[in-house]
Formats: sequence, structure tokens, C-alpha cells
Amino acid sequence: MTRREVLKRSGAAAVLLSGGGALLDACSKPGTVSSGGAHANGPGVGSYWPAGSPYPLARQDAPVTWKLWREPIKSGLAPEKGATLQIYNWADYIFLKVVKEFCAAYKCNYQITTFNNMDEGLAKMRTGQLQFDLFFPTPDVLGKLITGKLLQPLNHSYIPHLVSDVWETYQNPFYDQRWHYTVPYVTYTTGIGYRRDLIPDAQIRGMSNPYEIFWDTKFKGKIGIYDDYREAISMGLLKNGLTDLNTGNPKYINQAQQTLISLINAVNVRTSINGVYIGIPKGTFDIHQAWSGDSVTSWQYTPVQNMKTWQTLGYWFPADRKGPVFNDTITIPANAQNPVLAHHFLDWMMTYKNAMLNFSWNGYQPAQRQADPATLTTTKGYYGEPYVFPWLSDAVVRESDFHTGYFEEELTPQVDQLWHNAWQAFNSG
Amino acid sequence: MNILPRRRSRDEASGAWYPRWYWPGFALPGTLWLLVLFVLPFYVVISIAFGTVDPVFQSPLPVYEPWWWTKRYLAQEWHFATGEFRPVELRTIVYVILATAICLVFAYAVAYYVARFGGKRKGLFLALLIAPFFISYLMRMLSWVELLQPNGYVNSVLTFLHITPHPINWLAGVPFTVVMGLVYGYIPYMILPLYGFLDRIDQSHLEAGRDLGANRFWTFLRVTLPLSKPGILASLVIVTLPMFGDYYTNNLLSGSPKTTMFGNLLDNSMEATGQGPEAAILVLFLVVFLMIPMLYYMRETAKAQRNQ
Repeated sequence: MTRREVLKRSGAAAVLLSGGGALLDACSKPGTVSSGGAHANGPGVGSYWPAGSPYPLARQDAPVTWKLWREPIKSGLAPEKGATLQIYNWADYIFLKVVKEFCAAYKCNYQITTFNNMDEGLAKMRTGQLQFDLFFPTPDVLGKLITGKLLQPLNHSYIPHLVSDVWETYQNPFYDQRWHYTVPYVTYTTGIGYRRDLIPDAQIRGMSNPYEIFWDTKFKGKIGIYDDYREAISMGLLKNGLTDLNTGNPKYINQAQQTLISLINAVNVRTSINGVYIGIPKGTFDIHQAWSGDSVTSWQYTPVQNMKTWQTLGYWFPADRKGPVFNDTITIPANAQNPVLAHHFLDWMMTYKNAMLNFSWNGYQPAQRQADPATLTTTKGYYGEPYVFPWLSDAVVRESDFHTGYFEEELTPQVDQLWHNAWQAFNSG
Repeated sequence: MNILPRRRSRDEASGAWYPRWYWPGFALPGTLWLLVLFVLPFYVVISIAFGTVDPVFQSPLPVYEPWWWTKRYLAQEWHFATGEFRPVELRTIVYVILATAICLVFAYAVAYYVARFGGKRKGLFLALLIAPFFISYLMRMLSWVELLQPNGYVNSVLTFLHITPHPINWLAGVPFTVVMGLVYGYIPYMILPLYGFLDRIDQSHLEAGRDLGANRFWTFLRVTLPLSKPGILASLVIVTLPMFGDYYTNNLLSGSPKTTMFGNLLDNSMEATGQGPEAAILVLFLVVFLMIPMLYYMRETAKAQRNQ
């Protein structure tokens, strides 16, 4: 697709946001849209619709129901024969064995294409040239994808295991009420990864504000946070006692920025994206902001593979479960060439056996009813070790976390700019 | 007959006649190359910098018509460039100057040795000089990440030799590591052009210097060094320009905001939703800044050509 076509598509997207009422006049300034009328004919229904936003923004207390812009595929269709299932996913995020077993069962081939961040993923999706059958977006970009008509509605009759095997929360998630377009892929929390041989569990759990461990000068030079502006600034907010991880208040954002900047002088903090599962096992980091899935899987990366080494890997998340919590989703792009097969794949991934096999490999927990938090630390997975080591029990995600925890949700462009400016200021040292 | 005067004598000497467009025609592929792979993409960058973002996807939406350009992002980034980004800008300049100076000292010594004393082994030395290009920059940096780990070989050797009592955390945002990473990464790009120039220096010039009573040192200082000045300038340009935009050396060897370079700010903007125009503006700032050494290089090259 040429850039011109891409721009035409951008223009088309702009048209959509006002329900077809705001046309990009040939003589008007590019990228501008008219306002008004968007709510009535908008792509979804939700109670939080900030001025200037082309669609409602999903919040835990303001869920969004996305309209079906077209009919889902018909029920009872046979899977496409001899097809190649095109999977578009984050790099290293799905166990190939799970995909291969699916393809063996449905007699198809597969092709996995990867992206490294959501922007990159969206950019390729927007071209419409790459006809993927499955796409793994984060919930905060659903508004864009659905407004741009890049996803197709799901036919639930092909995905019975979402109802039978998956947490009830995901039959009506706040970001996609009545799961019109998404099924959950994996869940995770953001806490603190640390070396247990240097920091006893009791020490970090006994702290009145465990986020202060990042400022412990004993670990100067060995402290890291994620190279991700939302995660990093959210940590600054949480350290300051704030829990709205989507705040647009410049005062709070500025305070979080100053909090992070103070980390530079105090402990020479570093940013990384693999510091938890590579840096901590290798000794590059002693403490690192951590996604629970990274901590769960970090034992696979220790230079010495034995229980004593694995026991040095710790993870903390608030005992009252009031911390950042997330999930990723699986969707079917609008132009999928094998939509029936794709529906079956969604069901495959919602099945307990397959979801847990994937969990064994990537460390990110599926939202499975049978994955009882009490037994995950004792039940052995594919590699003969428990799904989650007992000392990492804080990393087990519970369905209730999605009621007590805090979601990082989509921001308006203006608020996003504030967050980004704070991140750039931090990075400037 | 109206033939270009400079061409005529050579053409007459060979007895051949060429149409007027013949010689300029050779510039056509290069001109097309420049147009398609530099001028047009650069105009797209400008169009993004003064454009807008897609209202839904927040991706950059280039505006090709100058009359619709907005200066909003320019004003915003100028505010940062003259404020919060100042430490990063100064740090980048210092790192690049240091790294380039170290590169020059080592690269000149190596290139000089190969050109003057390589003898029969010149081919082997050249192959060794080209060897780093067989491995990608990223892989070479990643290998240093392993070597510099707290329990890596560098620390093992240093502690074994009692140079340091404890392992040094080289990767913990140490400016020295970043500068040396830049030196290591870019030095091959400096050695080769320097070697090319030094190898072409006419031996008779050096002999003339010696005949006039200069010793090895003064011959080097008065003859070799001035004659290799264009080579030094060319290699400085080749190395300095990409260093200013480098971000992954710092990403891999440090990751600390204390060592953030201008390229990292650019990278951050590139990877953030809705920040496309900001990233393009930062690119333009960098281009304008890099015009200064580039113009100096062009002036010096022109001067050298006139002197010849």
C-alpha cells in the first residue's frame, strides 16, 4: 500500500469518528475533523467520552460497549481447509507447541509475524495489506481498532470455552462489554522483582511503602524500572500514594516526574525492558519494577539451573491486591482470510489444557477458572516445575484483582502528551 | 561547435567526440539516487514535523502542502530543546567529541602503521580491519554487555590481577562505558578512510622532507599530517554524524538517564503514540546542528582542492 493510500485510510478513519458526518473536505486542513454528532453515531457506548475523543474511553467505572459495525461470521461453518493461520503477536509471547498442536488438530499451517510495541503493531494493522487472522492487542487500543473497523465482531458459538473455562469477568470486561471483539489472552500485575538473597521477603513486605525500596542506596546502580512511560510514571504515582494511573492532573504527573528524577541521583536508576527476566538472574539488577509474568518465567534464564538459584528470585505485589493489573487480548482482524479457523483458535486458547501449556512457557497467567491460585504454586507445568514457585505466590493473578487493582487505560491525546513530557524530562536526567 | 572547453582537449586528444550531455549524464544515477532516497524522504520528514496526527490512531499524518503547515510542534520542541533537553544536548556533544578524539588517536595510529609499514602483510591487515563489518554493530555491542557484566570476563580479569578489589558495575550508567562503546563501535569506520588517504601519500614527499633535514617526527608533523588532513576530516565526518544520532549504544551499555544522548530522546518520541511530529522536529534540529561540521568539512575540502 502506498503512503497515499495509507493517508486515504487515515482520512477514512477521521470520517468514521464523527459517524460519517465529519468529512475531510478536499480543501480543508489535513487531519482535521468536525465535532458534534459523534456520540449518537459513535462506534461505542460509554459514559466517559472526553471532549475531542472520537470514541468513548473505557474505564473500570465507565465500561464501553462497542457496536457491531458488521455481522459476525455465520455459525456452524467448517474451518478453512489447507489454510495458513496468520498470527500477529508480540515477539516471544506464545508457545509454539500450542500453535503446532492446534495446526495438527485442524490440519493447517501457521505463520507468526511479530511486533515489538503496540504502535508498531497498529501501524501494520492499519495498512490493511497484511491479512492477519489473529491479532493480540492491549485493551487500551481497542477504541482505535474498532473505530477504524480493523477488527471483526466475534461469533460466540465458536468459542464455548470462554464461558466454561475462563473467569466470568471476561464475559463482560469493562473495555469490551459482552466481549463483542475480544477474548482475554493473559493477565498480569506490575510489582517489584528483587533478589531474595539480598532482600528478605519479610523486609519488603514489612515496609510501610514498599515502593521506597527503589530509593535504597545500598543497591545503587542495580535498580531498574521499565523503559515504558506509562509503567514508570505509574510507579511514581503509586510511590506518592496516588492510585489513579490515568490521571490528567498536571500537578500529580509533575510530582511523579520529580519522584522519578530523584531516583536518578539517589540510586542511578536505569531503564530496561528485559531487566526482570534477564537482568536479575544475571546479577545486573538487584531490584526492578516487574510484570508478574516476567518474574514467573525468570527462573528459565538463570545462568545456573538449580533450585537454590531459583529461590533467589522474588516478586512483591501489595497484599491488599491494590496495584497495577492488566490483561492482553486476542482479536480477529476484519480482513482475516481464515476467520472460522481463527475463531477455533480463540476457543483453543480459552481451553484450560492449552492455556496452561502456554503459561508454562511464557509465564503469563491465563484467566482460567481451574487455575486455582492456591494450587498454581504446587501443580507442575510442562517443564516439571510448579507453574509458579511458592515464594513467587504474589505473582499469581486472581480474578478479584480486576476489581481491586488499577488498570492503565487509554488517555486522551492531551493527557498522553503530559505523560510523555514527564517521561522525556526524566530521561533527560 | 559549442563543446565544453574543459572536455574538448581531452576529447580531441583521444580523437573522440561526445555530445554535450554525455559527461553530465554520468551524474544521473547519483542524482536520482539522491532524489529518491534522500530529498523525497527528507521532505516527508519535514511534512511530518509540520503536519499533524491522525485523530483516531494518533499516528503521524504528513502534510505535504506548506500552506497547511503548523508550527505547533516546532514551538513545543523548541521550548524543550532550549530547556529540559539542554543537559542531554551538552552531554551528547561531550560524549561525541571525546569518543571521536579517542577514535582518531587509535585509528590514525593503526591506519598509519598499515599504510607505511604493512609491507607484504597489507592484505592481511586490511582483511583484519574489515573483519568487524562481518558482525553487526548490535551483536558486537551485545557481546560487550556480556563481557562487562558484574560477573563477566572483564571484571574477572581485573579482580584476578588485583587492579580492582571488587567487580565494577560497568553497565550501571557509567559515562566511560558509553564513550568507549561509541569508540569501539565506530572506530572501524574511521580506520578505513584514513588508511585510504595515508596509503595514497606520495613516498617522494616524505623522502623530500627527510632530504631537507627533518627527522621522522618532523617529517610526520610537517608532511604526513598536513597531507592527510582531508582524510582526517572525511573520517571525522563519517564517524561523528552517526554518533550524534546513536541511541542503542547507550541503551545497551547503560540505560541510565544520566547517560541519555540526543538519539535516545528521538527514539523515545518515535516509540510513543502520537509523538511522530515531535520526533520529526527533533530530527530536523539534529540535521540543522550537523550542518555546522558538514559545512566546515565542505569548505575545507574545497579549499584543499583549490590549493591542489
